Amino acid sequence: MEIPSEIRDLCENPTAILSRYRDSGVKVIGYTCSYVPEELMISAGLQPYRATNIRADPSALTPSFICPFASATLENMIRHDDLFSGFVVAHTCDPMWRLYDILKKKTSKPLFLLRVPHNTKNELSLGFFKKELVRFKTFLEENFEVNIDDDAMFNSISLCNESRDLLKSIYMLNSNNKHKVEASDRFRVVLACMWMPKAEFNVKVKGLNFDNSKTLGDVRLHVNGTAIYESSLIKIVEESGGFIASDDLCTGSRYFWNNVEESDDPISALSYRYLLRTPCPSQSPLEDRLDYINFMVREFQVQGVLTFAKRFCDPILYDSVHIRSMLSKNDIPTMVIEYENPAQEIGRIKSRVEAFIESVGG
Amino acid sequence: MSLPRRRSRILQTTRKIGELIMTYFSKVSDAKSKGKPVAWVTVFTPVELLYALDIYPVAPEHFGALCSARGFIVDYLEEAERCGYSESLCSYSRCSLGYVLSGMNGIMPPPDILITFRNSCDVYVKWWQSLHMHLGTPLFVGETPYVLAPEDLDNYVLDYVVKQLEQLIEMAEERFGLRFDMEKLVEVLKLSDKASELWFETLKLRRFRPCPLGGRDSASDIFPLVVMQGTEEAVSFYEELLREVKGRIGRKEGVIEDEKFRLLFDGIWIWHAFDLIKYFEDKGAVFVYEPYSEAWAYRLDASEPLESIARKILSMGLNVDIDIRIERFLENIKQYQIDGAVFFSNRSCKTWSATQLVTADILNKKVNVPYLLFEADMADPRQYSEAQIKNRIDAFIEVLSES
Ligand code: SF4
Ligand code: SF4
Repeated sequence: MEIPSEIRDLCENPTAILSRYRDSGVKVIGYTCSYVPEELMISAGLQPYRATNIRADPSALTPSFICPFASATLENMIRHDDLFSGFVVAHTCDPMWRLYDILKKKTSKPLFLLRVPHNTKNELSLGFFKKELVRFKTFLEENFEVNIDDDAMFNSISLCNESRDLLKSIYMLNSNNKHKVEASDRFRVVLACMWMPKAEFNVKVKGLNFDNSKTLGDVRLHVNGTAIYESSLIKIVEESGGFIASDDLCTGSRYFWNNVEESDDPISALSYRYLLRTPCPSQSPLEDRLDYINFMVREFQVQGVLTFAKRFCDPILYDSVHIRSMLSKNDIPTMVIEYENPAQEIGRIKSRVEAFIESVGG
Repeated sequence: MSLPRRRSRILQTTRKIGELIMTYFSKVSDAKSKGKPVAWVTVFTPVELLYALDIYPVAPEHFGALCSARGFIVDYLEEAERCGYSESLCSYSRCSLGYVLSGMNGIMPPPDILITFRNSCDVYVKWWQSLHMHLGTPLFVGETPYVLAPEDLDNYVLDYVVKQLEQLIEMAEERFGLRFDMEKLVEVLKLSDKASELWFETLKLRRFRPCPLGGRDSASDIFPLVVMQGTEEAVSFYEELLREVKGRIGRKEGVIEDEKFRLLFDGIWIWHAFDLIKYFEDKGAVFVYEPYSEAWAYRLDASEPLESIARKILSMGLNVDIDIRIERFLENIKQYQIDGAVFFSNRSCKTWSATQLVTADILNKKVNVPYLLFEADMADPRQYSEAQIKNRIDAFIEVLSES
């Protein structure tokens, strides 16, 4: 399967698409995290764009011991401030929370903080989150002089559901013991969905044939982590004989696993989906996340679980202890690789990945 | 004949803190042995509610500070790290996780319930989850959304927190067969409010020159407000403290004899290197204001008990918008006539440290306050380079002397 060059290029340099939007008069909202409902921005006629750390170093405005991903994302947002019409940050982990604070002092663009309750399994949280989404909707309406009506939300929900269905069907090609889609291809397609207009994305991806049995590695792995934009990490695994059958990355399955119910109360449906989706490591209860990983491990019949833990990423670093202990009860080997800047640590990461794959496969 | 030692200016009342801490821990152990529930709480949890329910609160953060100050934290940290917790995680959390993993042979009795409200940091959620995984003890994770504007203390944000407090009461009643008594809560609130009022009044007296109460005092004196809010003992402590501080003002007696520079300190104190405060004092610099000291007190209105508690846990210093925090700094720099600011960039506490550079820069530009920003860890002595920090302090004092 050949990934179209347009998607390949986009993944190399996603900011290029921002200039395209600007030239065609499309207003872009930069958002940080998969807890931000793209549907609401789309129904306001705005283009959501997931901000990333691609091609940026951590910002000099934060200390050296802050999650380098959050810090470099901040750097990118400030650097490309003029290409955005506004920003939305979700409060999930400490660095994201503080990224909002710093951005508030550095941008003149409208900025919104979506307060995501950390305790997702609580009816009260659902009620609160629904009010936050109404506040978000009002923010968009007031700042961009639009009216978001129910019809617009119905449309954007079904558009995004279609994208999610497409992504999920690609993922499911590897379920059970199947061996079809290379992670590096799948990875690019997921990322493209966060940057391209959804309608365009849906058309493009529908035409792709992923059913390809020629893959590099054959040791079936599940990769656990937060938001990974570095294709080099995926490549290392593939080149070392690993086959990433599944993942729970924020730039992977967690982004699209659950759909929004197409009901007659779109805000409720959105709050339900976004709060009760497959949980991010920053959320509670942890048991829900462990269940999800367990499900993935079984569904995709993996032999080992590899955690790519960004240095200073508290959520992943706490979780990895419990994930390991849960999986060891089922004899699934695990390895945690802490990293800061893959480009500079490629040798170390590679030798650890190789050793892990060898022990799992051997 | 030896020279007379320079009189140490730590307050007499502050010296009683050690004993107060020990009494408190023995009371908790006592309660535990009588079958009363003990809760492990994060520090901005509504302790008043727990006292009203007859549940005894213990704060692992406080335990972390204590272990660090008394020099026996490293074993716990190492135990947590051996079990897979990264060295980059908050050292308070590593300390209590190490304590749990090594069998809890110390002054903190095992918990019957784990309670947190996510107000200072998101680490709380991960840390309490981890304790819950190791101990199997019931867990309550409360949410205190970031306060973006003062209205949040009266709208659906407040409502959400009040309802969670009701949930917590219900959970405690069910689990431990307790009965919540609103009248008792009102009594506890009045005591808590009194302690806060006294502490605020005492802190305000630091505006006097020379400053009567320094960093070594304020760092210890907060203890009764951490886990003893709502107790008679806390009120008596702050009454005594206020009396002593007033006495000092009457006698124009300061923390140091020759007060040259009045400083603000932003951060948690470095418990294992407490002497650093004295190092400043020896150079004529005294700490007169810290957001950390102020954070523990909150005026409560007994006529609206749950709303009042909810506002308190929402308003915790780090949980209010950056603009409100910067305004507070600017106001206090004026009120306390501050000459310089010391920002402790704490490797453990990302939530606190993340915005310090931006804040320091804004303060510097707006009111021309020189600042020192240095990096270490509040509780982990292995991440501390004394000589380097002292050099930086020396250079900072020089800047202050010149400005
Ligand atoms: S979840 Fe982890 S990787 Fe993601 S922004 Fe937060 S700290 Fe960084
Ligand atoms: S030191 Fe900071 S990170 Fe650690 S528990 Fe306290 S507020 Fe949270």
